[in-house]
Amino acid sequence: MDKIYNDFTINVATANGTGSQSANLIILHSLFEMGVPVSGKNLFPSNISGLPTWFIIRASDRGYQAPGDETNIQIVMNKDTWEKDLASLDPGTIIIYNEDAKLPVDRDDCVSLGMPMTTMARGISPKMARLMANMYYVGGIAHLLGIEEDSIASAVEQQFRGKENAISMNLQAISEARKYASENWGDVSRYSAQSREKSDDTFLIEGNEATALGCIYGGINMLSWYPITPSSSLAESIIKWIPKLREGEDGGSTCAVVQAEDELAAAGMVLGAGWAGGRGMTCTSGPGISLMSEFIGLFYFAEVPGVIWDINRTGPSTGLPTRTQQGDLAMCYEASHGDTQHIVLIPGTVDECFEFGWRAFDYAERFQTLVFGFGDLDLGMNRWNTSGFVYPDQDMDRGKVIRNQEEMDAIPNFGRYRDVDGDGIAYRTLPGSGLAPILYRGTGHDEDGIYSEDPQVYYEAMQRLKRKIDGSRDILPAPVIREEDEGDVGIIFYGSMENSIVEIDDLLEGRGLSVSTCRVRALPYHSEVEQFVERHDRVVVMEINRDGQLYGILRKELPSHLIKKLYSVAYSDGLPPRAREYANRVFEVLEG
Amino acid sequence: MQTGFSRYWRDEDMVKLNVLNLEKSEYKGGKSSLCPGCGHDQISNIIIQAAWENGIKPEGIAKMSGIGCSSKTPAYFLAKSHGFNTVHGRMPSVTTGANMVNKDLSFIAVSGDGDTASIGIGQFIHAIRRNLDMVYIIENNGVYGLTKGQYSATVEKGSKKKKGAPNEQAPIDLCAMAVNLGCTFVARSFSGSKKQLTALLRAAMSHRGMAVIDVISPCVTFANNDESYRSYNYVKTNDEVLHIVDYIAHFSPLSEVEVPEGEFSDISLFDGSTLRLETVSDDHDPRDAVAALRAIHEATQDGRHVTGLLYYDPDQPTATDNLGLTQAPLVGLPEDKLRPSPESLEEVNANFRAR
Repeated sequence: MDKIYNDFTINVATANGTGSQSANLIILHSLFEMGVPVSGKNLFPSNISGLPTWFIIRASDRGYQAPGDETNIQIVMNKDTWEKDLASLDPGTIIIYNEDAKLPVDRDDCVSLGMPMTTMARGISPKMARLMANMYYVGGIAHLLGIEEDSIASAVEQQFRGKENAISMNLQAISEARKYASENWGDVSRYSAQSREKSDDTFLIEGNEATALGCIYGGINMLSWYPITPSSSLAESIIKWIPKLREGEDGGSTCAVVQAEDELAAAGMVLGAGWAGGRGMTCTSGPGISLMSEFIGLFYFAEVPGVIWDINRTGPSTGLPTRTQQGDLAMCYEASHGDTQHIVLIPGTVDECFEFGWRAFDYAERFQTLVFGFGDLDLGMNRWNTSGFVYPDQDMDRGKVIRNQEEMDAIPNFGRYRDVDGDGIAYRTLPGSGLAPILYRGTGHDEDGIYSEDPQVYYEAMQRLKRKIDGSRDILPAPVIREEDEGDVGIIFYGSMENSIVEIDDLLEGRGLSVSTCRVRALPYHSEVEQFVERHDRVVVMEINRDGQLYGILRKELPSHLIKKLYSVAYSDGLPPRAREYANRVFEVLEG
Repeated sequence: MQTGFSRYWRDEDMVKLNVLNLEKSEYKGGKSSLCPGCGHDQISNIIIQAAWENGIKPEGIAKMSGIGCSSKTPAYFLAKSHGFNTVHGRMPSVTTGANMVNKDLSFIAVSGDGDTASIGIGQFIHAIRRNLDMVYIIENNGVYGLTKGQYSATVEKGSKKKKGAPNEQAPIDLCAMAVNLGCTFVARSFSGSKKQLTALLRAAMSHRGMAVIDVISPCVTFANNDESYRSYNYVKTNDEVLHIVDYIAHFSPLSEVEVPEGEFSDISLFDGSTLRLETVSDDHDPRDAVAALRAIHEATQDGRHVTGLLYYDPDQPTATDNLGLTQAPLVGLPEDKLRPSPESLEEVNANFRAR
């Protein structure tokens, strides 16, 4: 049989809360150990136990990280979705199933491979049989793909770190299953894992943990948070890392953590911390941003630094709480009533999660405003490759803060909201300093911070705010541009779509369309984004939502002669972006 | 009687200085834009008086408020302190954030009955639950003034404002709620009782933890008619005083203070000051939550307002006490204390790689 190496997609169908996550991560990590380029997606339900869950493992020598458009190996463990899981498969798919489910597998056009997983697991531990049964499909997969025993052992050790009993029981189960598969199934798989040279530097990490570490290295002083999927693990990672990395000289922590009563309070605490001169941050998802919106306007108008990470899930309303989307971009950019505009940082990789984690505080204090970090469930809760985080290459930017009388005396005609040097950013003083105290307010105020309803004062204050945020454009992260010499078509995209773009690009290329790409990494968008549009005849804005939110922002802000070049490919079904969905749509809109 | 003050002669008159050698004018604020005769302006004056008499550094104070008539008042006192007139009902969370990063600030907050008992009741409750180290003054008149006189949630059943029908809904008693939640300092007073309110406010400023003072403050424009339970006349005649309160500052030795003739008890406050409670008729023990609730409910039944120190529990940790924070306020930490070293990041990376 001709083998296909390192190019396959495994789909594991199980029920939530049955311990399958450990088994899935062992497959993922054992492939990773062999140097096989691999990615995993957890499609889980909004439920603690019982509802169906799928885990997709994609191996690709070409580095594709999107979930594959087809499944090559299907593992069926969940009776509730059994029929549907089987019915959806293409002919030729390998099916691994638990014989103890006692359910039919009527797919003669597929390769069906059964194993009495629960019965075998009972042999090792009657009590743990339900959990251990999952390890038998790991063994089955290990046999089919030829995953090395060392890699399996290392992945099991990593999964059950320090629990010797669990390690030996699970290794025994996997080994029994491998033997069973070899004796009963034989060599039936076209798909095979082949070792690749693996850089010793690389490891897999979830975006949320990368962001958390970025915040820790950004000097976060206060985390306030209210639990919400998919952002909770960001807060919990910060909490986990504080004792290791943020202990003061006396052994006390240098970052306070408050679990707030709701998202409104979480945002208010960030505001209070920023106003008092600290680095405050909260993390949430779309519903939280909706609730925080009133405070977001106060950040903007009173010019208080703060950071909010929005880990997008599928909206509107409660939506699909455990699925992904880029549905909050327009909201974050212009959140709260009246004219507002907020800085939005959009990482596309776990390295950028770390980097923007610390940079967000610098931008917030420099521009004295709220900065959004914009992630999503796919980037935040799935595991991605990095070769290690890079230490901040700049000192902390604490912005224009006057800390003593001497500094105050050096500023001519000081006023809290007076732009003395033309960049739209005024100097501020901190509570407790006794320097030029004012009563901060969300009501209209003049350059000295005094209440005012004067039309000219209001108009000029709003113009200055616009100038201030506009001035951040070319200081914020520039887009990542991959340019083809001959390309007349450009694609603009952002965030976690980075993980599908290579495959989309290849699919387009395969059909004769060569494109340049521009990944936007911040709003307000960098001037290079405008130049990118200028250089191409047609520009497709591709994003994971229904309405084309970045497309809308570009249409609003680009010069009118460029707007007619724009096309929108916006698609969202809650799942991470599959390359073919988007490639097909790119052709559709261009062919019009 | 009390020491801690000094005097000096300026050209035309003698000027009194507090323990920091500051004139009272150092604690004043801007001109009020509230209705003439508003109870809130009385309270602003008492805040100025109390902060000055207690000798608190103006720059060490942070004035906090929400939205409403009462929440405008931080502009009218303590001009040398930073302040934040935040959003409606959300002042406690902003105060919490500021307290987390700078626990050395003295927070004096002003809110109203709409701001606290309706839109902000959740944040009020959770600030109490955390024992946030702040003075929380509710200027409570039973109506929304800035939107022209709608009833608020604290107004008594049967009370009637100047225009419209009497209120039919049951009131929220913020003091009873605070006692139930274990608030560590709960007092009620009246904007027209200058001596009582000054002493209670000074005690609240000497307390460490959440000090709630619910101050009945008549709305002269919309609810100062006799049928209003929160009018001047009504409160004056229906004030059920728990005890005579007298504040003795830590810098005024107790031995030099005149001993009252009748029965009294002393309460020791965090900064070493004392609140002396002189018995009026029945003895009230502020350490007894049940007694506090009984006093509130009995007074309410009789259509009266009970005033004084209702409840006091000095032994609870504050919001920042249990967080294991470093001693210095976090805002003062230099970069090398906030950003872990390059070596530590190498170690983090190495640990991930070794997995």
